[in-house]
Amino acid sequence: MSDAATGKRALAGRRVLELADEKGVYCGKLLADMGADVIKIERPGGDATRDIPPFWGGERHPERGLFFLYTNTSKRGVTLDIRRAEGQGLFRRLAETADLVLETLPPGFLEDLDLGYRSLRQANPRLVLTSITGFGQTGPYRGFNSSDIVASALGGSMVVTGEEEDPPVKLAGSQAHMMASTYAAVSSLIALHRSSISGEGQHVDISAEETTVSVSHICGVGKWLDDGIIPRRRGTSLFHSVPSGAYPCTDGTVYLMINRPLHWQALARWIHQVTGNQEVLDPMFEGPSSARQPYRELLDIYISDFTSQFSVDEIYHEGQRRHIAFTPVHTAAAVARDPHLVARGCFAPVEHPGVGTLTYPGAAYRHSATPWRIAHPAPAVGQHNQEIYGGELGIAARELRSLTEAGVI
Amino acid sequence: MAGEDRSVAGTALGDLRVVEFTAALAGPWIGRIMAFCGAEVIRVESRKRPDVVRGYVPPWAPEMGVQPQLSPWFTDWNAGKRFAALDLTRPEAVEIARRLAAACDVVIENYSAGVMEKLGLGYPELRRVKPDLVMISTSGYGDRGPHHRFVSWGPNLEALSGLSRLSGFPGRECTMTQYAYPDTLSALHGLFAVMCALDHRSRTGEGQHISLSQTEATIAVIGDVMMEYLADGREPRSLGNGSLHAAPHGCYRCRGEDRWCAVAVFGEAEWESFCAVLGHPEWRADPRFSTLSSRLENRELLDQRIEEWTASRTDYQVMLALQEAGVAAGVVQNTEDQLHRDRQLAERRFFEEVPHAKKGTVIAAGIPVGLTGTPGRSGRAGAAVGEDNEYVFGELLGMTREEIRRAIEVGAIESGVEG
Repeated sequence: MSDAATGKRALAGRRVLELADEKGVYCGKLLADMGADVIKIERPGGDATRDIPPFWGGERHPERGLFFLYTNTSKRGVTLDIRRAEGQGLFRRLAETADLVLETLPPGFLEDLDLGYRSLRQANPRLVLTSITGFGQTGPYRGFNSSDIVASALGGSMVVTGEEEDPPVKLAGSQAHMMASTYAAVSSLIALHRSSISGEGQHVDISAEETTVSVSHICGVGKWLDDGIIPRRRGTSLFHSVPSGAYPCTDGTVYLMINRPLHWQALARWIHQVTGNQEVLDPMFEGPSSARQPYRELLDIYISDFTSQFSVDEIYHEGQRRHIAFTPVHTAAAVARDPHLVARGCFAPVEHPGVGTLTYPGAAYRHSATPWRIAHPAPAVGQHNQEIYGGELGIAARELRSLTEAGVI
Repeated sequence: MAGEDRSVAGTALGDLRVVEFTAALAGPWIGRIMAFCGAEVIRVESRKRPDVVRGYVPPWAPEMGVQPQLSPWFTDWNAGKRFAALDLTRPEAVEIARRLAAACDVVIENYSAGVMEKLGLGYPELRRVKPDLVMISTSGYGDRGPHHRFVSWGPNLEALSGLSRLSGFPGRECTMTQYAYPDTLSALHGLFAVMCALDHRSRTGEGQHISLSQTEATIAVIGDVMMEYLADGREPRSLGNGSLHAAPHGCYRCRGEDRWCAVAVFGEAEWESFCAVLGHPEWRADPRFSTLSSRLENRELLDQRIEEWTASRTDYQVMLALQEAGVAAGVVQNTEDQLHRDRQLAERRFFEEVPHAKKGTVIAAGIPVGLTGTPGRSGRAGAAVGEDNEYVFGELLGMTREEIRRAIEVGAIESGVEG
């Protein structure tokens, strides 16, 4: 990686091997954009994640898939067939140089090739092996097939998303996989922290079902056992916040959420000023959300009558001036143009040599000493074979050629 | 480094001490996971400005009034922590808070923008007393930019980030979760950022400040969808439960009320198995369904035919029949299903029983960090404001009885334990 010009990276010196499909590639990206040397290992010819549409420019192309491009930034790429004996030898040599191996294969797959945690740790006791699967390494469903929508369903996020009268619905993108990946990145670094102190690595077992339950637990079991209400879909409003929800404006939709008595007072005053509505000032609406719970529908009418007289921008800015939590319901275009996000430099242009410049969403965190950065775009198929096998492992050019001809790399 | 004298055996973060100045979910959840992994996490609060989550009136006994320790959210999101009570509007309290930070490796805060600085607890001040400190400030909009003082809650950011517009069925303008997703997803990104900074510290001895924008964390997890606009200026279509590269792919009605099973069929081998399970091998030759592109084109018809099969079966029957044939399928579970019907979660002991001072025990969703070598646990449920004053101020900071008495007198330390 060309780090010479870039200053300090938080994960400099950490090496990661990634054998990951769509469940784990975001984990590798998180680590790579913070400076880890992430070597992406693809099957000869390239991974299937390269075929996920849509594509930059519209035409199907192994280096233009937008999911692939987004989730593989800053990584180096090699090809390797780990089902072949020669491939396993190369994998073992690479694993000896690594701090972390990240994999998303079915439970038992690596063990069957003698590349499981027990085997890899013999040569490298500090190694952390992180496995991301749909259901985890143990249990009756460990052999089940998973996907983003399946993990979202079992994990409980779908049953509480969307409108009451609609079927349950998944969120945009692939949130079950994104959360499994993010948890995996967190756990991997926690395990590496431990490994640095104790000299002992460990196997990290991430289940996409469990990580989905975990991030949607706010309407989970503790609350249900307390109030007897099993959470389900209820449109745009949140059960415990009154008022809350999406309200119409002249040119779009705003989202409003009131949790504090003072915020309610500020909203009631504003509605009264604009519409002359006296009832909204009634003291029976004062206090915490629970006091307004019986009047939700009535308050929704007052608020819709009021918001529909303004544009989204007017409600957003005047509302925020009054410390009321109004936000626009942004389209992708509106997110890309949002003056606050643009001023913060939330989007990062990345040069793709010979193709053009593509803008990427940046990271959420700003480190004062070791900034986040996309070092380079996602690798082409086998882009770093020569650099890593030849340069770093010292494999002779002739041997490399024969491995390539044999389809190992 | 703090914690040299603490036992680190068996836990992953047992060498770390953390102090948090937080409220609600996005900040506290970072500390929650660190505590689960063995870090000592001290939460500083004031009774004068209580966490909104503590403002809980039990629905089964409203006459009890506000019961801060009975909030199922508070006790879960703050399990495993120590609780210290300081009124940070008092200069003496700020001095004590600085001493606390000096004894810690990590500071977590999610107060409104500028509050920590105004209190004299901003990163530059804290760095003076603890040069290698790692500090994270997390807020809805981040700590800079024209709107950084705007107020928001997790659900607001689903809307602001584009998530609610890009999700859901075509024609629905705003599709919301009931779980304030930006709070938990940004806490995970925040903890990742902290662990990166700690990795850097362990190599170089250098600490740093991290500022996190919860809006930008939410944009990051739909980054692949946003790229469609950023690359080609095209607004991404809402796909509902559909996929651009798989069919069948959806959520199908099963027997019973609000019972559903999600199914995803990728590739021709799975399609073949799927047709066999449904008893429709002829679909493979049907020109409307024989290829992926024809299935995508005739999705609605295909989904109807599938629902004819699922509607007469229970959701678990559908899942098991398809999984047996290698097809990805999963019941749309609610929280009761997860606790009582999910054999996988049960076998893996996913739900945790956590000791609670007033209720005996409560049940919490597990923290699935999956550390098989150093598994974590939740300790006790979130306790009262100032529950651990004696430990934190006496034992940890070494304040004498007289010093503590004086700090209570001037209103810096809030004494007594509330309901």
